[in-house]
Amino acid sequence: MHDHGSSDGERHRDTNLNKVLLIGNPNVGKSALFGLLTGKYVTVSNYPGTTVEVTYGNAVLNKVRTTVIDTPGVNSLVPMSEDEKVTRDILLTDRADVVVQVADTKNLRRGLVITLQLSEMGVPFILDLNMDDEAKSRGIFIDQERLSHLLGIEVVKTVAIRRSGVDKLLKSIQQPRQSSLEVRYDDAIEGAIRDVSALLPEANILRRALALMILAGDESLKGWLHANMQDHVIAEVETIRQALQSKYNNSLGYLINQRRMKKADEILAQVLSLHESGKGSAIASYLGKWSMHPVYGLPILLVVLYAVYQFVGVLGAGTVVNFLEKGVFGEYLNPWAIKIVHFLLPVPFLQEMLVGDYGLITMALTYSIAIVLPIVGFFFIAFSLLEDSGYLPRLAVMVNQVFKLMGLNGKAVLPMILGLGCDTMATLTTRILETKKERILVTLLLALAVPCSAQLGVILGLVAGLSGLATIIWLGTLLAVMLLVGFLAAKIIPGQPSDFVLELPPLRVPQLANILVKTVARVQWYLKEAVPLFILGTFILFISHKVGALAYIQKLTDPIVVNFLGLPSRAAEAFVIGFLRRDYGAAGLFMLAKEGLLDPIQIVVSLTVMTLFVPCIANFFMMVKERGMKTALYMVAFIFPFAFGVGGAMNWILRTMKVAL
Amino acid sequence: MSEHKRRDAVEGKAGHPALCVLPEIEKEDELLEIMWTLREEGKLTHDEVLQNCSMEGCEVILKDLSKSGWLHVKGQAIELLPKGEKRARELVRRHRLSLRLFYDLFALDGAEAEACKFEHILSPEVTDSVCTLLGHPPNSPDGKPIPRGDCCAMFRQEMKPLVAPLADLMPGEQAKIVFITPGSHSRLDRLSAMGVVPGTIVKLHQKRPSYVIQLGETTIAVDKDITKEIFVKKV
Repeated sequence: MHDHGSSDGERHRDTNLNKVLLIGNPNVGKSALFGLLTGKYVTVSNYPGTTVEVTYGNAVLNKVRTTVIDTPGVNSLVPMSEDEKVTRDILLTDRADVVVQVADTKNLRRGLVITLQLSEMGVPFILDLNMDDEAKSRGIFIDQERLSHLLGIEVVKTVAIRRSGVDKLLKSIQQPRQSSLEVRYDDAIEGAIRDVSALLPEANILRRALALMILAGDESLKGWLHANMQDHVIAEVETIRQALQSKYNNSLGYLINQRRMKKADEILAQVLSLHESGKGSAIASYLGKWSMHPVYGLPILLVVLYAVYQFVGVLGAGTVVNFLEKGVFGEYLNPWAIKIVHFLLPVPFLQEMLVGDYGLITMALTYSIAIVLPIVGFFFIAFSLLEDSGYLPRLAVMVNQVFKLMGLNGKAVLPMILGLGCDTMATLTTRILETKKERILVTLLLALAVPCSAQLGVILGLVAGLSGLATIIWLGTLLAVMLLVGFLAAKIIPGQPSDFVLELPPLRVPQLANILVKTVARVQWYLKEAVPLFILGTFILFISHKVGALAYIQKLTDPIVVNFLGLPSRAAEAFVIGFLRRDYGAAGLFMLAKEGLLDPIQIVVSLTVMTLFVPCIANFFMMVKERGMKTALYMVAFIFPFAFGVGGAMNWILRTMKVAL
Repeated sequence: MSEHKRRDAVEGKAGHPALCVLPEIEKEDELLEIMWTLREEGKLTHDEVLQNCSMEGCEVILKDLSKSGWLHVKGQAIELLPKGEKRARELVRRHRLSLRLFYDLFALDGAEAEACKFEHILSPEVTDSVCTLLGHPPNSPDGKPIPRGDCCAMFRQEMKPLVAPLADLMPGEQAKIVFITPGSHSRLDRLSAMGVVPGTIVKLHQKRPSYVIQLGETTIAVDKDITKEIFVKKV
């Protein structure tokens, strides 16, 4: 992000590099359009808040080298959460040549509220009416020409996921204009806008827009104000704002927004026509209702979970892993590798390093490619299907009441579920939450009790071999821990929970192409991020083993691992390596179990500890980045003994009660 | 008029109609109100009217009213003619509704004085809205009946207040948002950013496990508390 001091330089920037900024309400297809324009894939899903960061991509549009910028969705350019602030900040500090406002055609009313704010800012822009197909199937028709005339800017219609309308969009991008539209507010507000504008410094957007943001009570603007204005001027501005606010009962932000909404309705009345033509997909609409139904909702959830379990746990972690691990690697690749290495490298040390018990090929690659990769691959497919169907936000409706117990609301279910994909990414997604308290709570619960896909897959593979009771004990302990810790942490961590206001996207049939592209992108990410860590971890194990450190660590941890948790000494390896990657730790347990070294109780105990245990290194760094070093360390300091405590208690209870699993 | 007299007039004496002290042009209104109230008490006579009238020149005004066809005076007997009847009725309705508004809703001490100002400025639409807002009250705070308006007739048919919290709708029902009384400013800002503003048509989808509402093509899940603060009118 540029600081303001460089904005002069900005204006004389390289004219060859055009900047196109994508802006719009959440879940309208900005990322889909971004992918279309740049060929660079960013995650596209069917729920608001998929994008929480700004993404840059380069493309040659209309023969001009262009940087395309994808932004998190906003409902108003007065931000309510961190992800919305990112978008407002980029408008404030980064001068784009063209702003492309992406709007959901069937939901134009809310899009127009953004349009009005962009016209107030005086930025050159065009309006893209996306998802035109869905609007048509619902009988909603927008008179594009008339709208273009009313707004004084180019208006195009697209269906980004089908690449339809892109040619026209590219043409329009060459003719961005400032909108001629103007919203008049009450005389008192207009007066205050004039007074405040006179005090403001020059910025990338018109002073009028900036004044309106300040009057609307935008707290998040404070940083910018302090960087660009003197304190006594800021105080003067605040006095004007308070004087104006005291004239009204309702908040100024609301009054301003209400006025915009009214203007949007006036425009809409002139361009919108409704035709009778069915109400979209009736099946999707019913499924959407049932998935949040107080009675049918739960069975649907169970069916979904069971389907995921069958697909990932049984098919992926069972059949495919067996085929790869025992068949491909066990029968062919590893024996060949051993032969080749022994033939080519007559040095015992190197032989052992590559193909020994802790060999980079026989252990690191076997674990990462034969065990974890198929599991995460299957999980990514299942997860993408869920994401694109629009089911996840509906889960929030089902669990809102439970989450309230933990000082959260249903909205927090999104980062938590994403944690099942990857806790690191999910920690980033906590930005969609509105209060600091909620962000801290969810970060903690993610690190503690939400297993990530790779780990989960391995765990599903392990418990698939046990009785249903074992799975229930593992899952029940996790849920109980989550509730208990959430409940207590909510009491300790200061702050207020926020309102539950969550937009639910329509249920959609997932697009096969998007599922494939998304899965491939995630698998690539896994290979790039995880495999090197597997190799590093194995190397550390190998060296530790060679210098005898492993035996020493095992001896050191025996009192906990062996006596307290009742696990074999070698399980310590899995825990140590679990620092690097959670799934690697789980895979270590997976191998121990396969070798028959763990009985069912030991499996359940070790899995529980492994799940609760510290987050992987990447997740820890993300915690530090998002929450700060102090908070992150506090969390780890809590999680570490807590995980072992729970495991020990579990071991004792299961043994004492002689539970047969 | 002296300060002392003014207070007397405002507080009303011995069950007599509370009088409002207002500019010349509104004196006719006052007299009509006095007559309406006296008639309720069953003592509408020429002398009683003059006795209860604390304004100057009451007799002249009474004659003027008679001349312009608002009422008919014959000896002691006074009869409100149709257009006078209507005017008096609306005046009294506005006055007593205003009383209720200030007394019940705002808990104002000087309710009577405020009501006196209000009865002259409320438009028919606003009067009906106030009446609806208050749930079509049958009496003013001093126990006198409030003349019914058109909105009350509709109310009787439906047997439900026209404006009710969104939380009270049945799943599947549609209504128009009339006003929002948010617990906090930030809540109102958030709702309005989603399109929840007065004038919007909203449909309640379900109440459990969470409230789900729909506005146009936008479906939103919200807390029950919030739906209690959104007041709607069925359409």
